[in-house]
Amino acid sequence: MLTLALKKEWVDAKRQGQLSWLLGIAALLLLVACLSSWQSHSQYVADQQAVSESERSRWLNQGDKGPHSAAHYGTYVMKPASPLSLLDAGLQDYQGNVIRLEAHTRNNALFRPIQDTLSIARFGQLSPAFVLQVLLPLLVVLIGFGLVATEREQGTLKQLLAMGVSPARLFFSKTLMLFTIASALLIPVALSILIFNTIELRAGLFLGVYLLYVLIWCLLTVAISSLANSARKALIILLSLWVFTSLLLPKLAMYYATTANPVISSQAFESRLKSDVYTPEREQAIFEFKQQTLAHYKVSTTDQLPFNWGGAQLQFGEQYADKKFDLLFAERNNQLQYQSNTYQQLGILSPFIALQTLSMGLAATDFKHHLHFAAEAEKQRRLIQQTLNFNQRDNAHKTTGHYKAGVELWQKIPTFNYQSPSFSQLYQQYMPSFLNLLAWLVALTVLCAFTLKKIKREEQR
Amino acid sequence: MTIQSDVVITINNLKKQFGDYQALNGLSLNVNKGEILALLGPNGAGKTTTINCLLGFLKPDSGEINIAGTDPQQDVITAREKIAYIPEQVALYPRLTGIENLIYFSKMAQIEKTELEFKELLKFVGLPEHAFSKQVAGYSKGMRQKVGIAIALAKNAQALILDEPTSGLDPSASHEFSHLLKKLASQGVAILMATHDLFRAQEDAHRVAIINQGQLVDTLGFEQIKQVQLETVYLEHIKGAVTC
Repeated sequence: MLTLALKKEWVDAKRQGQLSWLLGIAALLLLVACLSSWQSHSQYVADQQAVSESERSRWLNQGDKGPHSAAHYGTYVMKPASPLSLLDAGLQDYQGNVIRLEAHTRNNALFRPIQDTLSIARFGQLSPAFVLQVLLPLLVVLIGFGLVATEREQGTLKQLLAMGVSPARLFFSKTLMLFTIASALLIPVALSILIFNTIELRAGLFLGVYLLYVLIWCLLTVAISSLANSARKALIILLSLWVFTSLLLPKLAMYYATTANPVISSQAFESRLKSDVYTPEREQAIFEFKQQTLAHYKVSTTDQLPFNWGGAQLQFGEQYADKKFDLLFAERNNQLQYQSNTYQQLGILSPFIALQTLSMGLAATDFKHHLHFAAEAEKQRRLIQQTLNFNQRDNAHKTTGHYKAGVELWQKIPTFNYQSPSFSQLYQQYMPSFLNLLAWLVALTVLCAFTLKKIKREEQR
Repeated sequence: MTIQSDVVITINNLKKQFGDYQALNGLSLNVNKGEILALLGPNGAGKTTTINCLLGFLKPDSGEINIAGTDPQQDVITAREKIAYIPEQVALYPRLTGIENLIYFSKMAQIEKTELEFKELLKFVGLPEHAFSKQVAGYSKGMRQKVGIAIALAKNAQALILDEPTSGLDPSASHEFSHLLKKLASQGVAILMATHDLFRAQEDAHRVAIINQGQLVDTLGFEQIKQVQLETVYLEHIKGAVTC
């Protein structure tokens, strides 16, 4: 049945010429998007590797110096590209991908790849995700809007039904045919996953949710084609739905999410990182710590302590600041998370939003994964500070003059080797989007049942 | 002419109302195996409603229908397997060829035949062989009718229902079509032909049923058809009916 329907539609459309043109254009767009994405992905991977190696080398070869000087000398860590970012770069280009790790300060991520492009290039970006999320539904609409409506207009629908073809058989053969053609455009995606990724849960789910998305659009298209009185009307309705769900609603949803959950500006946040941490209370806390330490060791001056007071004080100051940083970052990240969650929940109104959220999550290029990277980088920063401060605390008092550490200490800092969290750790956070896609599927199944009744009623014309 | 008495289509006291309009008002008739029954009546007499009820497209308000032992209201799929329908404008896919149309329609209805058998069907209905592989968009109405009949024949249907089959055909195509109908009837197919074409009805039909305002007003047997001026009888019966 599928082969028959495929062959008929293929021959019909080929003789009309539209199908081969549509598929050709879509394949070309996808190819260009994949090649362009592959080039930038490869460049990013090479850059990340080069930066990591160069930073490690810079750190190890910084020469002999005081540990605290090394803490200020600092180092940079760069977020590695996830394999699936080749297909969906998500927010990667808009979030900083490098974090400077240094004493006293928890930095925000720096260097957004979008800064390295001309402003005008922002309007012409063509990524595989854009082609699959936005243009593929349009292709489904353009191929499928007339599948049933045209049959009705030319009278072949009634002829088929009179032949004893059941409406369900007709509906599903057309839906399956459309799904098969549209899914063919996911073959390059599957190949990219096979070539550039190891087969893992994320890759399988990534392909799975896109297939689900294509199925949703195929069901919607054939249902509207069955319900509309003419192919022209079906096309207008479907194009309106496409514009609304894929272009307009995501913008409105993001506007609503950001206005309903406002976030303090980056400038204000940077300012608070200074003003809320380095306060008289901090000076008072350090003073009290000093008094407690002197009392504990029953000495009257820090010079009499059995360790270097400077190192101990630096570590205390770091830990004090870290608590403040945790509070400030948690507040800001929660605000951003609320925005992200609000946007995600609005996926019930648009399968595009649901897919976009899932796709970025699976590709590890969304805000949640960015937070995870930033948190891991912060752990590394704290490890560096603690290692350096403790080294100063335990050794500086043993030497006369200025204490200097060397490469043996620098080597004690492990290489920052960031690992993205496994999807099974995060899947609960993406359940709303997955459920939204399923809700669309269920709603369309109900619509299809209604559509079959309409096709049966069509027989009465 | 001998007509076999086996009844294939039975319609008994059929009623169907659309709002205030009574489309069928107790219509009863039957069509026998190997018989061509011409169903005559003015526009709005109930011909198309009758056909739609037979095909299971419409549910009558009351009355009975039986197609070779099956009630389409009870089992529409089985009923449609036994019946073939050719509308006034045979609907085909214009960019497919005649043979492609025949194969597609048949296979969608799960009728399995070889390509050779499908070609034999097209030959049987008189479609020129050079037209088999031409796109239907270039066919005349007569050629489309032939493909339509071939599609109907592919089902091995026991009954054939035709709605205005000769409308728009030139005299030669109409004559050819008439010849084909007789050939089918001689093979035992029961044919119900709703038409305004009194000439074809008089030439081809074994019986003529005249309906008006949803009721059977007269039935003429084979001998009567040949003896009377069908047009006069018909006009007498539909006097007062609104025609357009």
